[in-house]
Amino acid sequence: MSDLLGIGASGVRAYQSALTTVSENIANASTPGYTRRTSTINEIVSTGGSSTARTANDVNGALLTGVRRASDMFRSADVRTAGADLARSQTAIGWMDRIETTLSGNQLNDRLTSFFNAAKTIAADPTATTPRQAMLESATSVASSFSATGKGLTAIDQDIDATAQDAVTTLNGFGTSLAKVNQAIAKVQPNTAAAAQLADQRDQLLEQMSAISDINVVTDDLGRATVRLGGGSGPVFVAGNDSGYVTYARGEANSVSFSLHRAGATAGLTPNGGVLAGVVEGAARVAATRDTLNTIATRFVAIINYVQGQGETLDATAGTPIFAVGTTPTDIRTVLTDPRGIAAATPGGGVRNNGNLSGFESARTAGKFEANTTALVSGNAAALSARKSVAEAQDAIRSNAVTSRDSVSGVNLDDEAVDLMRFQQAYQASARVVQVARETFQSILTIQ
Amino acid sequence: MQISTSQLYDRSSTLMQQLTAKADKLQTQISTDKRFSTASEDPVAFQKLAVIKRASANDRAYGANIKVAQSLLAQSDSTLGSVESQLQKAAELAVQASNGTLSVENRRVIGEQLTAIVQDLVGLANTKDVRGQPLFGGASGDTAVVQSRDGSVAFTDIGEPSAIPVGDGVTVFGTDSAKRVFGNISTASGASDVFAIISKFAAALASDTSAGAGAAAAEAGDSLKTALTQIGSARGSVGARAARLDLETARLTDVATTREADRSRLEDTDTAAAITELQKTMTVLSATQASFSKLSSLSLFNYLN
Repeated sequence: MSDLLGIGASGVRAYQSALTTVSENIANASTPGYTRRTSTINEIVSTGGSSTARTANDVNGALLTGVRRASDMFRSADVRTAGADLARSQTAIGWMDRIETTLSGNQLNDRLTSFFNAAKTIAADPTATTPRQAMLESATSVASSFSATGKGLTAIDQDIDATAQDAVTTLNGFGTSLAKVNQAIAKVQPNTAAAAQLADQRDQLLEQMSAISDINVVTDDLGRATVRLGGGSGPVFVAGNDSGYVTYARGEANSVSFSLHRAGATAGLTPNGGVLAGVVEGAARVAATRDTLNTIATRFVAIINYVQGQGETLDATAGTPIFAVGTTPTDIRTVLTDPRGIAAATPGGGVRNNGNLSGFESARTAGKFEANTTALVSGNAAALSARKSVAEAQDAIRSNAVTSRDSVSGVNLDDEAVDLMRFQQAYQASARVVQVARETFQSILTIQ
Repeated sequence: MQISTSQLYDRSSTLMQQLTAKADKLQTQISTDKRFSTASEDPVAFQKLAVIKRASANDRAYGANIKVAQSLLAQSDSTLGSVESQLQKAAELAVQASNGTLSVENRRVIGEQLTAIVQDLVGLANTKDVRGQPLFGGASGDTAVVQSRDGSVAFTDIGEPSAIPVGDGVTVFGTDSAKRVFGNISTASGASDVFAIISKFAAALASDTSAGAGAAAAEAGDSLKTALTQIGSARGSVGARAARLDLETARLTDVATTREADRSRLEDTDTAAAITELQKTMTVLSATQASFSKLSSLSLFNYLN
């Protein structure tokens, strides 16, 4: 008769634990990184032997043998890969957007056009001061547009540096945390809620890492993750209890690079995904844009000053340069302040001569400054536009990967409600068994 | 397939965000009347627009130059008209002077009239244009001609005036130099100018002999005829240039119209389509919101007691 009591008691214990797991699932239904847990309840198979030698666990009944995580490592890996690709595109898009704003916001193209047209207007009335003043104003706005664009690109570079430093610091923090989680995983008893918690933490850290750099993950039997950065052939970042650290550096010619230091060794890191890859791409784009802009600025200043030198001012003197260049090719300022100083006339032509002004127009045609500026803007715009549609596709891929993972490991409250009822009833029934056992036993005791 | 509860919420909020973003973009398109605000939204159209904008700015500059040239030519035309009438007056006086019955007094009066005509012509030759420069000036010099104390007139301007650019590779002379208009007239006694011809005639009338005066009048009459022809052709040339500018203006207007049509096609919002699309988006958005609130209120927990 004591068996009946034991069986009832084992049911009560098992379903109480099962209810705890269900409550945990319900409570964490919207916790990011939480993986649904299920209780595994097995029947206790009697091991035989004399009934007096049995312990409570040896009797028939039910036993909670473990808490299982409903996870799928392949789907999680898919989410990480898709996330790294998307993060790379989004980071690159961010920088390209900034380049676009800098290039078109300073209206370099429009100002170049009005500069050349101001020269044309002088031709109709070479002796008047107003059109000359207008041309000098246009020259000043061209100069400030060049330098503002150059400074804008420098500001983007500085932001790229700050972002890269931030990302690297965050990544290093994740590495340290993962090493600690690895250490804890090795010690924890498997198939327990505690083990499930640690595995959740590990997977969440891996997902966050993959947004910064593409990672390659190998898990051992205990569940400890070994992480390589930059794909399967990249350097090891975290192995067991030990994590390395990543550093960011900007080299000569504005190139950017990452290095991974671990266990006394340093290896170069080439990220193919995540924020770090986006940073490399953004820095390369800024550098290329600056090169083109510098070329345009240098040619513009050289040609305009040359044309100016070929002519004669209102005071019948040779023209002096309009522009001067500072420390960088785009650091341009206007040095000609006297509107009479614009060399409109051919030498010896007289005050009403406008022969040299056609030189500005020829310089405009030959230099293609406006066309080149437009090409610079639209080249970046085309790349950005293409990149945005790629990012859209990557977003869809990632969203599918997340859906696919969550369909396995996410919590559905209706399911949990059903489980809650099921386990509650099982618990109540087991309790009833205990009561019946007691009453049955009592009926024997009351025999007189 | 199982749908996790948080997935239901995440997915719905993403979808609603996308719809709101789309509605916002359409709203911006409608209110700004521009199909795109950044180059990356349509790089090809952006490049074409840049070319159109540049061409429009160029044409605005050319248009302003054309206006200056037109007013210069109009002023030249009216001034040359006055010059013509002065010369005609001189020619009439030459006819009068050729009459052998004139007294010395009569000839002296005619001579004085001729001297006055020379002064008027000097004034006309030194007319200032809209730019404050001598209308018949060359490349430099404050006046076109200068009359010295003895009454002789000299051309003081140097060089030729510059042509005004009115189109890509198209230039128009807004003015002519005094030398070209008043000088280089071939007479029986070699090349001369309008002022010298009349002054010489006036001087001949001051001398006594009526025979000499008659010969001078005959020569002056011929020379003035040549001078009138030259002024006439100068006026004709001014008129032809003005007509060219009218054509150029008409061309600029036509091109501007075509260009505006191109620009509009590239850049402007198709308002009707955008409003329809916005309406559709709003309908879908409110349907999504309604279905989301229905779905999210559905829970088995509501039926457990």
